[in-house]
Amino acid sequence: MVSPEALLRLIGAFATMYLVALGHSLFEKSGILNLAIDGVFFLATGVTTALVVPLYYSLVGYGLSPVVPAILTGLIAGLATAVVGAFMAWSLTKLPISHGAVGLSLMFLGYGLGIIAGYEVRLRIGSIRPYAIPDSLEVYLTILIATVVVGFAVYYLLNNTVLGTSMRACGENPHVALALGADVAKIRVIAGLLGFYILGIGASFFVLIWQKYWDIKAYLLAYGWLAFTIALSAGRHPLVLLPFAALFGGLVEFSITLQAMFGLQADLAKMIPFIAALALMVIYGSTRLRRIFEPPTSLGRIFYKEERTI
Amino acid sequence: MDNTSLKELETQRSSIAENVVLLARGISKSFPGGVVALDNVTLDMRAGEVLALLGENGSGKSTFVKILYGVYTADAGEIYLRVGDRLEKVNIGSPADAMKLGIMMVSQVPQLVGKLTIAENLALTLKSLKLHGVKSLTSISKISKIIAEESERVGIKVDPNERVYNLTYTQKQLVEILKAMIIGARVLLLDEALTYLPHLERKRLYQALMKLKEEGRSIVVITHKIPEAMEVSDRIAVLRAGRLVGVVNTRETNIDQVRAMMFGQERAKQISYSRIQIESKPGEPVIVVKDLYVEDDYGREAVKGVNLSVRAGEVVGVAGIAGNGQRELVEAIVGLREIKGGDVVLAGVSVKKGGIKLVRDIGIGIIPDRLIEFGVSIENSILDNIAACITRNGLVVKWDLVRKFATSFINEYQIVTPSPEAPIKYLSGGNILKCIVSRELEVARKAIVAHNPTRVLDEASAIYVRRKIKEKAAKEGVAVLLVSEDLDEVLMTSDTIFVMSSGKLYGPFSPDTPREEIEKYMVM
Amino acid sequence: MRLIVVKRKVLPRYVAWAVSAVSLVLGIAVYLAIMALLKTSPLDVLVNIARSFVNPSIVKDLLILIVMGCALLVSFKAALWNIGGEGQFYIAMIPGVLFTLYVFNPETNPAPAPIVVFLSIVVGALLGGLWGLLAALFRAYLKIDEVPVTLILNYIAYYFINYLVFGPFKGRYVYGYLRTDEIPVMYRLNLRIALPPTTNPIVATAYGFIYQLTYYIALLILAVLVYVATWALMKYTRLGLYIRIHGSNPSYLKAIGVDPERVIPLVLALSGGIVGLAGSIYLLVEFHRIPYGLEWQTTGYGYLAILVAWLSMLDLKFIPLSAYIVSVLRNAGIALQIAGLGGNEQALLLVGSILLTYSMTRFLVEYEVKVEW
Repeated sequence: MVSPEALLRLIGAFATMYLVALGHSLFEKSGILNLAIDGVFFLATGVTTALVVPLYYSLVGYGLSPVVPAILTGLIAGLATAVVGAFMAWSLTKLPISHGAVGLSLMFLGYGLGIIAGYEVRLRIGSIRPYAIPDSLEVYLTILIATVVVGFAVYYLLNNTVLGTSMRACGENPHVALALGADVAKIRVIAGLLGFYILGIGASFFVLIWQKYWDIKAYLLAYGWLAFTIALSAGRHPLVLLPFAALFGGLVEFSITLQAMFGLQADLAKMIPFIAALALMVIYGSTRLRRIFEPPTSLGRIFYKEERTI
Repeated sequence: MDNTSLKELETQRSSIAENVVLLARGISKSFPGGVVALDNVTLDMRAGEVLALLGENGSGKSTFVKILYGVYTADAGEIYLRVGDRLEKVNIGSPADAMKLGIMMVSQVPQLVGKLTIAENLALTLKSLKLHGVKSLTSISKISKIIAEESERVGIKVDPNERVYNLTYTQKQLVEILKAMIIGARVLLLDEALTYLPHLERKRLYQALMKLKEEGRSIVVITHKIPEAMEVSDRIAVLRAGRLVGVVNTRETNIDQVRAMMFGQERAKQISYSRIQIESKPGEPVIVVKDLYVEDDYGREAVKGVNLSVRAGEVVGVAGIAGNGQRELVEAIVGLREIKGGDVVLAGVSVKKGGIKLVRDIGIGIIPDRLIEFGVSIENSILDNIAACITRNGLVVKWDLVRKFATSFINEYQIVTPSPEAPIKYLSGGNILKCIVSRELEVARKAIVAHNPTRVLDEASAIYVRRKIKEKAAKEGVAVLLVSEDLDEVLMTSDTIFVMSSGKLYGPFSPDTPREEIEKYMVM
Repeated sequence: MRLIVVKRKVLPRYVAWAVSAVSLVLGIAVYLAIMALLKTSPLDVLVNIARSFVNPSIVKDLLILIVMGCALLVSFKAALWNIGGEGQFYIAMIPGVLFTLYVFNPETNPAPAPIVVFLSIVVGALLGGLWGLLAALFRAYLKIDEVPVTLILNYIAYYFINYLVFGPFKGRYVYGYLRTDEIPVMYRLNLRIALPPTTNPIVATAYGFIYQLTYYIALLILAVLVYVATWALMKYTRLGLYIRIHGSNPSYLKAIGVDPERVIPLVLALSGGIVGLAGSIYLLVEFHRIPYGLEWQTTGYGYLAILVAWLSMLDLKFIPLSAYIVSVLRNAGIALQIAGLGGNEQALLLVGSILLTYSMTRFLVEYEVKVEW
């Protein structure tokens, strides 16, 4: 039915989409709109490409399995995106500036910087495949389980701890959170660090676990926006994201398969996930789903301490 | 530094009472548009005392208190807090800073996140002040336990796992006081927190406050109502137009003296709280509400089978504590909220399906409670705001006509603005309200629906607006539905009075009905 | 040390465009820093920028960006973020290809050029408007943020056009690259004039500009018409008023009886339609064909226009200046040709840098930062 390679790719697709959507959701729960998602996604892939090659040569040289440099790369690449997340969180809380504008500008910068990060290495090595995770079912299943565990951990954090509750409070009404004594900037920065770190790792999975490919034109894939749509429709809920991410990961994989099977013209196949995204938005917007999976009340609102006395 | 500053202070003032807990010195604050909110205000707050900070709307009292609580930053001035036997200068940059110093504010609007539970809300405070060993990763279930214990200890019963949006207004304020006691607040600032509560409810909360006073805490009651100030305070500080007029001992003063301090001798004579006597002959019903059911934002029933009729030339007042369905009632009547059951008929036309466009076409003026949301567009100018209301047909905007109206409104209501082209956000709250009222009174042909129309206005302007509304009703036969959380306003302006409580309407009452009678219904 | 952000009490007149100018300079500085990472000397970049100020080849960009700047200004003023300029621009080219190469191909079924051109432009604008309208429906009726929707629609547009170029519109391969055939000369809108030769560099530059302006006269006419129409719309019409109010407070619009759900589709359709005008005419005066693989060969006007609209502070009178600056920067970027990064990637970095500094400093128009030690 499903060939072993396809299964591995499906796991890769799911893990990538899920972690990106999860990190993004955690961030947005604290009230900051993240329109930079696609650019940050691409930036992480570029950084991943640049990092994995030297790490591979140094670590595999010591007789370590190729899994190690791959995972390590992800963990380090996540730091790059975490910095962006912290910056976004801090500036959008301390200064009365537009979330959307800052997000979009970081999207563009992310595209450009991602290209700069990865192009040299890419020119030299041609293919990422040798440096990616080996095609072992064992490894993939471990990654799958680890991903789901992270999801549950984030769920617990958000709903059962003081820190997570503070994040949600900041997303609902940062002025009230402030009046309750919360340090809104600090909480949002933590959400930025943690959320974008997870996002970055997910993006690195794209290169090393799923597609095993990178090219400077990869910034045109717009998978970040698919993750954005998933997060939106699932109400940014860590557990509800699981089936949604599986669905879209599968859809992207499936469209490539469809293309091969039916000789579907490549561009039509590429359109499928995006049309599905729009369809999902329609379903979300026109049914009770929107009530259940509401965005945080203050998402994207400029936070300015001194309010009118009216 | 502390000893010299104390000496400095002593040379400036005759004496500083030994039990001063908090001293604010030389506080000044201005807002954009040239609005001077506070001008060199110096005031001290003492342990074991209730200080009333009295002033009409716009006098700066709320600004002052927000500076003490770290919400605003003063342009000039310092704040000193008693530490041991000295007064130390402190920097209050945020509510967290204030709470760490033991200062807590309870505002008129409870500062709680509706979607979260009481425990979740208070978790933020506990963590911020590092109380009970609460840390970032502490579980919420543990917080619930802590809150339950504290609530027992302090004697204010709450269910920590109750979602805040399920609580009544009074219950929310009780949670705020619980919070103050949990954090061991030394200074409690009540910013009009009790002002609109009926007497009985207020008395309940006073009991809690008296306990705090006996424990040696300092309580500041901020209000614009003289009776409230005289009711509960030991001292009264009066602010007028941003300046401290004076501080008197409550026992040694009377209403007239305080009145004169609050408004100035001349204006005090003009201000009267008696009923506005303008006779009118009511005609046919214009606003008819039949068995109305409306839901709130959370999908729960907020208006439960309300019947109401307002005749042409009549002013019907609906009193009630905030949160009893008034907002949903008003929004449903004007077409801003869906009608789940029953009907609303305006000038003979059912507006159930029509929505606000139909309501506007019929010629209804609306003064909403949520002014910034539904009353104006603050980035736009007065001209744009008026134009949108007046130009409802045609391709082109009639700017000449708009300008004419703008000029007449500005002059008649004495609206303070740099120019009609200036964005409305540069006007003070009171002036914004005047823009809205003048505009709506102009476009209202059949009826006016007003919700808290004078809440942020200074006393004289408020009385002026109520007069204008009454005149409009009497002279032009406009039906007026006045929904207000201020019982004084309702009593002063209405021909017929109802009370809204828990989504139901009680009444009608005549305006001569004794106040206590009406207040009884407010807490049903 | 604490930074306190306070609203300004007094608003000096110069503040607005001082902030814009500062953000522009800072943005270029960020861009220079990034170029330095690529081992390109900032001096090279600045020289290229300086040269571009008087380079006649900026004319076509300038004209397109004025038109698209107006298009985006109209929607941005209503707080509707039309990021779909790319999709609307290219989708409008489909009728042009369809009519000039297939329906009214000069060899098989010629028709009077004005009619064919007119059809191409009008249907193109309608398609652009439709593309904008689509996003508007998501926003108006489903309350879904138009930014991700317009972006996704960009990609759907790219892929759809790719599919057409690969399929029914397939032309010949040129240098190994697939594209549609070229628009027949009789349907093109270029005007060529002969100018006397000169050795004076200043005169040569002037002649260069004049030549470009006449070569692209269709764009010039469009730019003037759109600019004037936008001015009239915003200043005198009811829709202009509603746009301004929707941009500040849609709830107020609702409260006076105007349905935001009616205004939003109208505005985004108008915005998309104007972009469509630009795209359909661009095909006839410059592009002259559609290449395969649109997403990586786009000139990026849809994104550059965002910058134009923002830099002008949504003030119509600054649009021409803003368009001029962005055209200069774009051409400077193209001239640099660094490390395999095409003109598009340069545009991305530029737009990103300047948009970032702009969005982070814009608040200084209304707020000031006090430092407390």
